[in-house]
Amino acid sequence: MGRHRPGVGAGSTRGDAGRVTFGPSSPPVTAGLRARGGNGGGDAQRGMAQLPAPGPRLRPLAGPGAAECPGCGRRVASARWEAALRVCPLCGHHARVPAWARAVQLADDGTLEPLHWEVADRDPLGFDDGVPYPARVRAARSATGADEAVVVGRAELEGLPVVLASMEFGFLGGSLGSAAGEVFARGCELAVAERRALVSVCISGGARMQEGIAALAQMARCTAGTTQVAAAGLPYLSLLADPCFGGVTASFATQADVILAEPRARIGFAGGRVIEQATHQSLPEGFQTAEFLVDRGMIDCVVPRPELRATLGRLLRALSASRRHDGTQA
Amino acid sequence: MTAAAQPLDTTQRERAAFAAVELARHPDRPRALAVIAGAFSDFTELHGDRLFGDDPAVVGGPARLGERWVMVVAQEKGVDADTRAMRNFGMPHPEGYRKAMRLMRLAERFHLPLVCLVDTPAAHPGVGAEERGQAWAIAASLAVMLELRVPTVAAVLSEGGSGGALALAMADRVLALENAIYTVAPPETCAAILYRDAAQKGRAAAAMRPGVDTAHLLGLVDELVPEPAPGAHAHRAVAIAGLRGALERHLDALQRVPIDDLLSTRRQRYRNADA
Repeated sequence: MGRHRPGVGAGSTRGDAGRVTFGPSSPPVTAGLRARGGNGGGDAQRGMAQLPAPGPRLRPLAGPGAAECPGCGRRVASARWEAALRVCPLCGHHARVPAWARAVQLADDGTLEPLHWEVADRDPLGFDDGVPYPARVRAARSATGADEAVVVGRAELEGLPVVLASMEFGFLGGSLGSAAGEVFARGCELAVAERRALVSVCISGGARMQEGIAALAQMARCTAGTTQVAAAGLPYLSLLADPCFGGVTASFATQADVILAEPRARIGFAGGRVIEQATHQSLPEGFQTAEFLVDRGMIDCVVPRPELRATLGRLLRALSASRRHDGTQA
Repeated sequence: MTAAAQPLDTTQRERAAFAAVELARHPDRPRALAVIAGAFSDFTELHGDRLFGDDPAVVGGPARLGERWVMVVAQEKGVDADTRAMRNFGMPHPEGYRKAMRLMRLAERFHLPLVCLVDTPAAHPGVGAEERGQAWAIAASLAVMLELRVPTVAAVLSEGGSGGALALAMADRVLALENAIYTVAPPETCAAILYRDAAQKGRAAAAMRPGVDTAHLLGLVDELVPEPAPGAHAHRAVAIAGLRGALERHLDALQRVPIDDLLSTRRQRYRNADA
């Protein structure tokens, strides 16, 4: 990343095209995008570069104030769409959520504190497929408002201190490269240093091919992060959202104490197309969906998005309870 | 950029890059069982993951390297049509990684240094592999290798492809035969992902620089083990003897280090991977 965003106070970022611009010591973001009756206060749009800001509730179902459901194609008023956490009220489709929007959805109101670490961009191969790789990274950064494919924030979740590591699919397919791996590892170290639980939201096509073997090394780097969290006795909960594949599924996404997934999310190691080409096998019905994997014992539970916060909170309380015995819990 | 716009030397570069991949995939290169037979003694193969089955793409068991007992865990590609099919071309299923982890734990319990021979184009992409948690098995193996309380050495024989290779390669020392490749994914897969066309494997090979010298430059491989010209495929016994010497040398060095120091060095190394 290599550049430092000037710290911007909470008031002045209102209407700043959804950019999250706080430094570690900045005031927390106020969340307001939840189904629990939040009316979408002005601060709520931060981090939501992808979609128009939520407007008044009774906007007509067309025009710029509406979102189109990627599942059924019908248009839903933005306010209703955001209030429903981007789950289509008409067909139940769980639409993809940008990284910071997801963090806002999960954090308790006003507790999310985005962290922007100085992490150097890497281009170990001098990769150029017509567009130089560093230019692709810059474009992804400005299109998504995320520093990298993994973003990290401090927050509270149902009152419990957590580090949220949230992935941005719009950032080169949520691919895991050197900078993203470094951000994730620092997130793990922050969790250990401040005795916070780790919650990750994994949405990724896998390792970032443009970094070659250096991308593979990130699976090792992220593993070095999660093992520290485990060694510190802190809970690590992972949510797999659509899609989650390759080196992300094969490293930190599945190294969690509890693995949750969203309904119908596609999750696996190799993609379905690769499998068909490699083996000429026909893929079974529902192959690589969250439901398929929970049936086969790979995922703890499939959780609809409106129940996600409550489920995570309940699990965190359960897994944190035993620390009371040794007096380390704040 | 269209193909027509590319100068001719690009094509030549791509051809040369893919020729290096084909050299690494030469069918006569020494395979894991040949290395075990040539460099180790007293090998007893142990089978099965105790959960589902026995994966022939992964072999392992205790053996002696010189005077020292070690645990060998290896990916075996097979040496002819029949054994290649039986070994699934060295592409493990989850039960292969789970067998590997079982043997790593066994090594830890009895203080045997671990030697991993890495030789796979990738973890197997298939329905059964996905159903049984290929990604889960690899992720678990990464964590086990990072924290295993014995000295660990890995050597890439011909191909180290994807997380399927890394699952056996997160060692204290990583060696590679000098004509091997070590890649984030096979060039065909990279081409399919980057250019949406697996046929552009030459272009992907030129762009990805899959040779182990790249991994060596980035610090993911510690030492390139020289091969006799024109390559290990022509002089297998010489190549195996060279590898044996390198393995012994690194184990000698590692076994002089207290295990806690070894682990903190290992954790630090992978925490800062590629930095």
